[in-house]
Amino acid sequence: MKNKKGTDKIISMYWFVILFLVAAAIVYMAAIFYGEPYDVREIEAHILANQIANCVAEGGYLKENILFDEEFKNNFLEQCDLNFNVEDVYGWKELEQYYLKIEFYTFDPNMQDNLGDLKFDFFEGNINLKDDCDRMGRNFPICVERSFYTLGKDNQKYAVKILSIVRKTEKNVR
Amino acid sequence: MFEKRFSRRGEILVENIIFIILNLIFLTILMVFLFSKMGSVAVLEEMYAKQIALTLDSAEPGMEIHFNMENAFDKKEKEWDVLQMVNIQENVVTVKLQEKGGYAYSFFNNIEVGMYPDKDENNEYNGFYVITIN
Repeated sequence: MKNKKGTDKIISMYWFVILFLVAAAIVYMAAIFYGEPYDVREIEAHILANQIANCVAEGGYLKENILFDEEFKNNFLEQCDLNFNVEDVYGWKELEQYYLKIEFYTFDPNMQDNLGDLKFDFFEGNINLKDDCDRMGRNFPICVERSFYTLGKDNQKYAVKILSIVRKTEKNVR
Repeated sequence: MFEKRFSRRGEILVENIIFIILNLIFLTILMVFLFSKMGSVAVLEEMYAKQIALTLDSAEPGMEIHFNMENAFDKKEKEWDVLQMVNIQENVVTVKLQEKGGYAYSFFNNIEVGMYPDKDENNEYNGFYVITIN
């Protein structure tokens, strides 16, 4: 009987060792899960692309004074009510966290992606971010490429391609 | 003989009860830790700052948005002023639910934003923040 009691104590000691290991694993997983920031960059990049689409086209037609308009091109952020200023952390003020590129092609059903000749394009933001688009991994900027078809003033069909990139890595990835 | 057997049984019972109580205490501490992590103020600050920033990114002038922040109202420091929970300067949203801490996130939409905590008919805060876009 005494031996059985001794065995019970050893078993209960092991039981607590196992409990401790399980608890350590749960605490570790919880710390990893809740310590990880919410990554909202992809949503942000999609919203940015949407805002650009709304800015250049309305009701299926390109807005006036956009194509070949140098003033629109030069004051693009102001014209589309965008502000690429960011909070002053991680040296973000010196390194822009956004990049945008808009390309207007003629619509050509015979070409790949229906993209004919490039008629007009412009970009804004940190062009260096574009180089990281081909790289895989969460520590690189998020790139979203979207396109839509629209009509010009002369009922000419256009394909508009938008590339929007959001970096903000430090606040979205650990 | 009878007394001896009786006392041993009693001993076993006490050991088992202590064992079960210790297990329960252990599990309770674990659950409390998990729940505290799930609803921690720092996590809420980040979540609300990013949600508000994304909402403002897709907002348009003339909109009035009623933003549900009941969790933030519940979890904020008791002495912390409700009016200081959300602050927007230039194009950066800062959510601060305690004296030490706070989380800031920027939005790219160039809009003028006004915001204030909403009140119910009894003039008490109802857990919503009203965001107006001009």
